[in-house]
Amino acid sequence: MISFSLDEEQQIIQETVRKFAAEWVRPQLREWERAGTVSDEARRAFHELGLGLLEVPEALGGAGASAVTAALVQEELGFGDAGAAVALWSPHLVTAALVELGDEAQARRFFSRFAESSVRLGAVAYSERGTTPLEGFSTVAVKRGDGYSLSGTKAFVVNGGCADLTVVFAQIEPGRGWGGVGAWVVEAGMPGMRAGARHELLGLDAAHIAEVVFDGCLVPEENRLRGGPHGLPKGVQRYFARAALMTAARQVGLARAAYEFALGYTQERRAFGKPVAHFQAIAFTLAEMLMDVEAARWMVWRAAASQKLDEVALAATHANEAAWRVADQAVQLLGGAGYVQDYPVEKWLRDTKALALTAPTDQLSQLAVASAELGHALDGGWPSSTIQPMVT
Amino acid sequence: MVDFEPTSQQHQVKEFIHHFAESVVRPMSLEADRAHRTPDEFLLRLVAMQGGMTMGEVPAEVGGEEGGVGETPDARGKKQKNRFALIAAEEMAWGDASVLLNLPGPGLGGPPVQFMGTPEQRQRFLGLFKQPGLHYGAYGLTEPGAGSDVSAIRTRCRKEGHHWILNGRKCFITNGAKADWVVIFATQDPSQGRAGHRAFVVEKGTPGFSVGKIEEKMGLRASETAELVLEDVRVPEENLLGGEAHYQGKDGFMGAMKTFDSSRPMVGAMAVGIARAACDYARDFVKDHYPLARALPRYIQLGQQLAEMRRMVDAGRLMCWRAAWMADEGIPNAKEASMAKAYAAKMAMKVCADAVQILGAHGLERHQFVEKWYRDIKVYDIFEGTGQIQRIVISKRILKEPPSF
Repeated sequence: MISFSLDEEQQIIQETVRKFAAEWVRPQLREWERAGTVSDEARRAFHELGLGLLEVPEALGGAGASAVTAALVQEELGFGDAGAAVALWSPHLVTAALVELGDEAQARRFFSRFAESSVRLGAVAYSERGTTPLEGFSTVAVKRGDGYSLSGTKAFVVNGGCADLTVVFAQIEPGRGWGGVGAWVVEAGMPGMRAGARHELLGLDAAHIAEVVFDGCLVPEENRLRGGPHGLPKGVQRYFARAALMTAARQVGLARAAYEFALGYTQERRAFGKPVAHFQAIAFTLAEMLMDVEAARWMVWRAAASQKLDEVALAATHANEAAWRVADQAVQLLGGAGYVQDYPVEKWLRDTKALALTAPTDQLSQLAVASAELGHALDGGWPSSTIQPMVT
Repeated sequence: MVDFEPTSQQHQVKEFIHHFAESVVRPMSLEADRAHRTPDEFLLRLVAMQGGMTMGEVPAEVGGEEGGVGETPDARGKKQKNRFALIAAEEMAWGDASVLLNLPGPGLGGPPVQFMGTPEQRQRFLGLFKQPGLHYGAYGLTEPGAGSDVSAIRTRCRKEGHHWILNGRKCFITNGAKADWVVIFATQDPSQGRAGHRAFVVEKGTPGFSVGKIEEKMGLRASETAELVLEDVRVPEENLLGGEAHYQGKDGFMGAMKTFDSSRPMVGAMAVGIARAACDYARDFVKDHYPLARALPRYIQLGQQLAEMRRMVDAGRLMCWRAAWMADEGIPNAKEASMAKAYAAKMAMKVCADAVQILGAHGLERHQFVEKWYRDIKVYDIFEGTGQIQRIVISKRILKEPPSF
């Protein structure tokens, strides 16, 4: 039945995270940006909300919440600060990957660490400079004794080099392209893994996004992820679809933040004897912004409810575009004040672009949808129509 | 629970109407456009069909379908009729939007009779639609000098004994010439503003009530758009909607506006239907014309264009569903209804233009449907409140309400 109503539990979660975003996140937005990280205190406070393993199935010790509920959480976090949303969700990067790619024993073994501590970080090392997944990764895994030896450099990794658990994608059979890819969990302290350079980025400064270097890093057999119940290609696809949805929800939150800020500002700011919001040029812009925010939210909710890949791709692109447009208009409505750092809107216009790259690129999403539309794969890649992000 | 899956009954309605739109409506669409009308025999067949298709709701109390689609309340006492109506409207508009506007029924005249009318008036004017034959209602608000600013209407009414005397001109009235009755909005005294407004049901054949010119339009040509002339028309006082008591305050005007809370999402859904038709048509064109060109960059670019069109259509539909869901839940939805209509109309204009572009020169040919849809869709950003009026409604409300969703 077509319905836009949230159940009681969802409303409570939404309210809780909204409060957290207002009390913890928004006041520290600039401080965390300068520090390049969220505070441990905030991590602890977020951990205490009990949302860390929100989407993990109950059988594996999680809350077993739906993707719609997770999207609500992400919208609120994104409303607080997109960088903080990425940073605070970091344990989940790994737990979600383990749900989709690991077996039950692996999931149980690794989840327990995140359940007990608030400051443990996860990472997924996927992207590389210079190569595209189509050609295969330049990071390689070689069978060595009971385990594997990993070598290569990964880029654009959230929590790269500082995570307790890092899921790494590497080529185990070079020349076989995607058919020869494997995934491993590398634990902090395993010799041969070290932090690479931190990327200095356009936005999302509160999240640590860096290179990770593997130099003959030895990983035991039991840390190899075989792809979970759906096999590796499908598992990767599902994992990235989840990630894309979460990003899209953050974009909705960011857009809503920008809209509401501009709405408040233009009612305060006066020109020619009245609040500028009372000029139609401004009022109509506000109306456009609200339409963008809401349409994007419903696209995200729909994709979260169905989990269909093409709907996820549509939601990702729609949210990216809408959030950019709304953030841009917010800066515009504030005028000079929008451009200076006294107000958060300039940050949102930077963050939205950076956030877009933690989702699949819009071009990739469009290819996935176009493939569905025309009935055959347009990208020719493998796994066909996987919408993998740049920043993981 | 958040859910976007129509019920199985809604699926059935959707499939039934889609089949009908595809196999019956679409084949006659271009001819109806050229002829500027939908054949009566065709419409009579529709009326005779099981259940009967009507434009605008006929409530159960006057003999409309009891327990008809969407009329059965759920466990919480909520109906789904707006969602059903939207799903049906999208499918019919996918076939042909002007044929949809030609479906017999109270049309836009329905809501004011229902919201403002007395039980006796509802019985008299809406009961008509259960009679055999083609019956229409219409909605006469717009005037040559009052379009978006409906409070500026100049059609005058004055009481004389047990009658009201109406004088003025109405224009752009859908089904105005063939309507059995038209809800006419008039003013007792323009200086009184909204307080002076009255709404009457003026019946066809009343002396002095005549049809002016029938418009020739850019699109929706098979739908009749008429000018109506009122010269000393004597309307019995029983035809004043709601009776005189109804007009203490600004209810007269609010009654006119309330029509839009349920009609705007419908109009949005029709725009979604046309846009979806254009999107489907362009997709099929690409598939048929580039069978050997899959590796060409142009083909991939067309695929991406199609993906964007599909996305816009989906977003527009969700905006409309949201407004309809609110209406079904009894949540005030004036802002959301305007957002749905404004968003869907703008989206659909873009999608139809893109579809013409994808077909290239073929897209300009009259036998290609996209040429017609490109003409049809423009009015969706004009009638039922222009895009600008929608933005006034939306922005006035967001500047009043606390910022939240």
